Amino acid sequence: MKIWSSEHVFGHPWDTVIKAAMRKYPNPMNPGVVGVDVLERSVDGRGRLHSHRLLSTEWGLPSLVKAILGTSRTLTYIKEHSVVDPVEKKMELCSTNITLTNLVSVNERLVYTPHPENPEMTVLQQEAVITVKGLSLGSYLESLMANTISSNAKKDLGVSFVEVRGKRMDPRRLSSPGSWVEGSALVRQRLLMESRLPSSPAELMERAWMCGRKLLYKFKELLS
Amino acid sequence: MNSVGEACTDMKREYDQCFNRWFAEKFLKGDGSGDPCTDLFKRYQQCVQKAIKEKEIPIEGLEFMGRGKEKPESSS
Repeated sequence: MKIWSSEHVFGHPWDTVIKAAMRKYPNPMNPGVVGVDVLERSVDGRGRLHSHRLLSTEWGLPSLVKAILGTSRTLTYIKEHSVVDPVEKKMELCSTNITLTNLVSVNERLVYTPHPENPEMTVLQQEAVITVKGLSLGSYLESLMANTISSNAKKDLGVSFVEVRGKRMDPRRLSSPGSWVEGSALVRQRLLMESRLPSSPAELMERAWMCGRKLLYKFKELLS
Repeated sequence: MNSVGEACTDMKREYDQCFNRWFAEKFLKGDGSGDPCTDLFKRYQQCVQKAIKEKEIPIEGLEFMGRGKEKPESSS
């Protein structure tokens, strides 16, 4: 089992980041996502927008990984549930794979909130739990996948803003914290104090795992 | 961006445009009531549900791959 987490600070206010996040694909820097569909969307009694989406992706797994997994099929499907609270200014997104599940399980959780120190900035907390099942090279594959997720996350972060701002910007400027390296450490400290970060790998695993597993029941419900 | 069902891509794009506008101009500004995209969404949905069934995408459960395909337990 591999656990991966990161915090990132965007130099943009929450509204701008959320608009970009909702339109994250297509992303020429991360062409792995080849299809996105909305399966359900509604506003709940508390004014929060729920969306259930189906993503089709080409993992771009190294061919060694494909050979070990014993599958030549590279198109995989992912279910995603997001909740946007415009009053509390929080967007939470959970996703889990629904194919290749006897081989690998990837549960991801993303939370976007305003920067606690500066409302012109936004914090993204991202967590993923990756489990490769029943293979002796399991932890090696998990590391490869975690690296893929990490580099895809960086690409996603950069390009979505190029689109929203409607002008050419160097995506690398947007995706690297730059002078906000200190800001990131400060944010982490603050988030830890407010118990918004998981305090242990076990807690992180629990949160990301529960997030992904709940999706299965919801989708069963939606289509029955 | 394409839809999972090739035939649904145009409907999807129409719906997405409508949604993105409503999301940015109404929902995020505190006006979540009223959804101008319902009709577009219904048509798009019908197409997607059909594509999911045709492609046998395992929305309801889990799909197993490799080393002898196992049938997932069916509870419905």
